[in-house]
Amino acid sequence: MAKNPNKIKNGSMTATVIIYIILALLALICLYPVWYVIIISFSRPIAARTLDVFLIPKGFYTGSYTQLFKDDQMWVTYGNTLIYASVCVVGMLITSAMAAYPLTSPYLFAKKVWVFFILIPMYFSGGLIPQFIVMSKLGMYNTRWAILVPGIVSMWYIILVRTYFSTIPEDLRESARIDGANNYQILLNVYIPTSKPIMAVIAIYTLVAQWNSWYAASIYLIDQSLQPLQLYLRRKLVLAEKLATESMKGGGTGDGQQQLELQLLSADQLKYTMIVFSTLPMMLAYPFAQKYFVKGVMVGSLKG
Amino acid sequence: MSTAAVPKKKMSKQRKLMLLKDNIELYSLFIPAFVVIAIYCYAPLFGYVIAFQDYMPGASFFGRNIKWVGFKHFIDFYEGPFFKRLMVNTIWLSFLNLVWGFWVPIVFALLLNEVNILGYKKFIQTASYLPYFISMVVMCGMLISFLNPNGLINKLIVALGGEAKAWRNMPDVFPEIYVLSNIWKGFGFNSILYISVITSIDTSMYESARLDGANRFQQAMHITIPSIVPTIAIMLIMAVGSLLHANTDFILLMYVPATYSKADVIGTYIYRQLTESAGKSFSFTTAVGLIQSVINFLLVVISNAISDKLTGAGLF
Repeated sequence: MAKNPNKIKNGSMTATVIIYIILALLALICLYPVWYVIIISFSRPIAARTLDVFLIPKGFYTGSYTQLFKDDQMWVTYGNTLIYASVCVVGMLITSAMAAYPLTSPYLFAKKVWVFFILIPMYFSGGLIPQFIVMSKLGMYNTRWAILVPGIVSMWYIILVRTYFSTIPEDLRESARIDGANNYQILLNVYIPTSKPIMAVIAIYTLVAQWNSWYAASIYLIDQSLQPLQLYLRRKLVLAEKLATESMKGGGTGDGQQQLELQLLSADQLKYTMIVFSTLPMMLAYPFAQKYFVKGVMVGSLKG
Repeated sequence: MSTAAVPKKKMSKQRKLMLLKDNIELYSLFIPAFVVIAIYCYAPLFGYVIAFQDYMPGASFFGRNIKWVGFKHFIDFYEGPFFKRLMVNTIWLSFLNLVWGFWVPIVFALLLNEVNILGYKKFIQTASYLPYFISMVVMCGMLISFLNPNGLINKLIVALGGEAKAWRNMPDVFPEIYVLSNIWKGFGFNSILYISVITSIDTSMYESARLDGANRFQQAMHITIPSIVPTIAIMLIMAVGSLLHANTDFILLMYVPATYSKADVIGTYIYRQLTESAGKSFSFTTAVGLIQSVINFLLVVISNAISDKLTGAGLF
């Protein structure tokens, strides 16, 4: 970096400029692919066909979105994802707080046993096939429960909340007990209100994980009407199934110009439209959620 | 928790009742998590016994008519055609990821630390998190499209004087695609820990170094880097501990039969067996999974022990 270290005490201008440029390039690599997908999705089909749109959309066209919105499968899976995500977020918050509280209480019998009960599966998991057999035997195969039941408990978050709870002064618990509060009341009125930051962390991690997950669903849900959005996307983007909207293209109504553009709408542009629309909630939320992500990493790095 | 110790001797009857009531309440709170973990994590652990049986779908794990076969499936796997390919690919892909992916977040955090304009710093950091929020399916969808002969990546290669190719079907570039995609998706998020450690360094150390005439490069070499070395050590050891965790998610979405020779790993093999074999090879596949879990567990335990010795900051 600085070639003449003793001459300039606080770092040279060249080094600064180089660092700023490297970082700008890294940011560009992170942002540009997404930007490229966005501008193609909004370009006129004739220009987007060859994928040669690089800086701003060529023309402005929303027909690709109208086409996408006609696909019922997309809405069904979008709705499923909303169900899975919201139930799992609420469930995760409730079970994490409920399980973490006893583990911080000085009155719990055999506390060590239960801490180990939580820790062991984090290091040694039952394999995929045994898991699959158990779920099938319980009749959860190809039902929403296959996603919801495992999705509402996480050993990791229980430990995370326990770590947070144990920083709350013991005096608070004791004085509440003297006032005659039972454990449920103490958890609800003392511990949870003081733990909003960690609850926010868990809510956001769970939301992102559920929104983006596809693996478990691809194993347990064969019924397309139960599948989450990501499996719809996998069918269209990865397995390259023929797009339903594509085959509908001929049937649209409108004047000649619109018809022509619809005919030119390429599979790639439709795929990019799909990417933008499905990722939109994450894109809008993440700049606001990032401080909780940072917090989660920091709390998580403390000794459990 | 040693505060509010419960006196063991001479407990009054009232005290005992109180403690009983406490425990009823506490255990009732623990039940939901207990049930789910017991079903979803512990029952499958017992399910590993089918690795030592010839399990038929629908049977129970411990029954009268079960045929126990000992280590037959393990030996079959070891002697079978897939053992070498799966082991080599799993370890090689994880190793490449470790070698190339590990230092990028560290360098990024160090570079970011040199930025004094707060708005610029914030912008770069926010941009670096973006890929983390993009789902694996969407990332792979974009990648597949970009790697097409007329896709963005090939356009860039052609513009730089190269030749457009169907990269996704070429087994030899799969490791590169794998590593670069993983770095793209994770480096911003993985740098968070380093950035927060760097921010917590006492600024007076920099001030006194500056008084002693240290320039910025020297400050980075003698203050910043030594301060994050313990974190780096822990992260490195943990990364070694997960050496057998190739990114199954990504590979399942990206690989095609043409690239299986370089891309097929233990996780993807098990997935294919489960989704395509209709239960015929459950016992065999479970044996494969058990081997992976045991090696993983040993790696984690060993790396934790080392981490504990070196820094006193193990996970256990």
